[in-house]
Amino acid sequence: MGHKRLNPARSVSHPPFHLWGCGESDSPESEATRIPLSPTQVRSATPASVWTPAEQKPSLGAAQGSLNSQREPAQQRPLRLEAPSRSAPSKGSTSCQRGRSGRARLHGDRSERRARGPSLDLSSGTRGKESLVRVNGTQSLLRGPCLTMLSRVVCSAAAAAAPRLKNAALLGPGVLQATRIFHTGQPSLAPLPPLPEHGGKVRLGLIPEEFFQFLYPKTGVTGPYVLGTGLILYFLSKEIYVITAETFSAISVIGLLVYVVKKYGASIGEFADKLNEQKIAQLEEVKQASIKQIQDAIDTEKSQQALVQKRHYLFDVQRNNIAMALELTYRERLHRVHREVKNRLDYHISVQNMMRRKEQDHMINWVEKHVVQSISAQQEKETIAKCIADLKLLAKKAQAQPVL
Amino acid sequence: MNENLFASFTTPMMMGVPIVVLIIIFPSILFPSPNRLINNRLATVQQWLIQLVSKYMLSIHNYKGQTWALMLMSLILFIGSTNLLGLLPHSFTPTTQLSMNLGMAIPLWAGTVVMGFRHKTKASLAHFLPQGTPLPLIPMLVIIETISLFIQPVALAVRLTANITAGHLLIHLIGGATLVLMNINPVTALITFIILILLTILELAVALIQAYVFTLLVSLYLHDNT
Repeated sequence: MGHKRLNPARSVSHPPFHLWGCGESDSPESEATRIPLSPTQVRSATPASVWTPAEQKPSLGAAQGSLNSQREPAQQRPLRLEAPSRSAPSKGSTSCQRGRSGRARLHGDRSERRARGPSLDLSSGTRGKESLVRVNGTQSLLRGPCLTMLSRVVCSAAAAAAPRLKNAALLGPGVLQATRIFHTGQPSLAPLPPLPEHGGKVRLGLIPEEFFQFLYPKTGVTGPYVLGTGLILYFLSKEIYVITAETFSAISVIGLLVYVVKKYGASIGEFADKLNEQKIAQLEEVKQASIKQIQDAIDTEKSQQALVQKRHYLFDVQRNNIAMALELTYRERLHRVHREVKNRLDYHISVQNMMRRKEQDHMINWVEKHVVQSISAQQEKETIAKCIADLKLLAKKAQAQPVL
Repeated sequence: MNENLFASFTTPMMMGVPIVVLIIIFPSILFPSPNRLINNRLATVQQWLIQLVSKYMLSIHNYKGQTWALMLMSLILFIGSTNLLGLLPHSFTPTTQLSMNLGMAIPLWAGTVVMGFRHKTKASLAHFLPQGTPLPLIPMLVIIETISLFIQPVALAVRLTANITAGHLLIHLIGGATLVLMNINPVTALITFIILILLTILELAVALIQAYVFTLLVSLYLHDNT
């Protein structure tokens, strides 16, 4: 009932990596991009929702809020993840480190809560059972590590509750058996002791080396061989072992077996070793690939952080560009104004010039007209006669002097 | 000689106590169950072998048939290992006893048939009549098919019994011949001994093949009926 309601005020979904994102640039832009959580959101946010960064749902906060209200109402969970980043963007430490320390604190909280869990459930009696049920109910909303953590809390609670219930002597023997705790010691299957590299040493493929060492002090090196030969001859001579058809089939089978083992034994062993090595190599490859992937992710993250450091270059460049564009526009307009003004002035000048020329022409024409008018006919005749006389003189002179 | 010939097929007794159950259980000791990621060589080879065999044997089955995987794998391992161990001198092979083979064959065959009748009744009944038979022959053919169906478990069991028993008998006989010929003519004895060796190789193959055939046929019956 309680864990299903969604508080719309809390439905601000923000990528939680901002909570511990490294906004190392102290410019006002980074401050603005960090979206602050409200204090109620911080208190109700759980480690689970922080641990699964890809899926932060507002219902988680609401569910855990109801859970918290039941289990630890009076206890302040010290979730101060956002507080340091909200207090002041200090110039020295990065919010990365703040996020990390916050997460470390959360880890501590989780182990604390686990240790506190069982005792709390028992103290609440039937209410504790309800809370257990409630916990199981909300498990469907929670994911990943939270699920196993909570189930472990439940199981350890049940396990811790069992001895006390046993002592209560109110239960039948069936429940008694059911609540017995199995494997209270170290689990029997893990970790296994490592396999020895080689098997025990044997001679003739059958008899362990220890037998020869055992007989060595008394009978020396040939002791066991003599014993074996003696035994075989004893069995044969006393007909304890009878030579029958089986003997020959035994000779053929055992001979065949020894031959096959001697010839192909080593290669089969190598084949088995190769199978194992392939298995290990596969897993190793997976491990290496995973390491490489994580390393690549780390490097990418680092380079991203470095890029963020250098973001101001980008802004400077943009600012410069804009300034240049403004300057260019200004000069262009200035030039245009200049040109327009010059055009106007040129126009006036040309008008003036034209007026003057016109006046000049007019004056010249007027003067010429009047001069021409003023020349009378008499003067014209005299002028022409004089010109003719001068010309005759010049001609005579020219005739007199030969051309040089 | 006659008594000695079949002496190896009687119920093995140790001081009056039948230990045949121990002998049947014994081969399972030789297959250690791998309980870690990287095992010793025996367990690794066994794992690889089982994977190989199961891959080939179960590829023809659908989902329903593949639920029989454990049964078929244990069957082939059991029959193979008991047959191979029976080649050792003075050993008793449980699969030479018709009782045991019938005990293996009839339940398995009956299981496949009953499963077929439960899940695909019409198809199972249709197996009794091959396609394209002329009309007058139908009653006869149904009877013949029924007989052939009911003879399947008997054939399975008897095939295994007869093969293994025959092989063991042959080895016994030829070994006896070698023994007798040793005193008369050692060269002939040598030839006979070589024959014995070849026969042993054959018997090794037969042991494995019989196991394979048994399991294959069971799986075939299964395939028909799932």
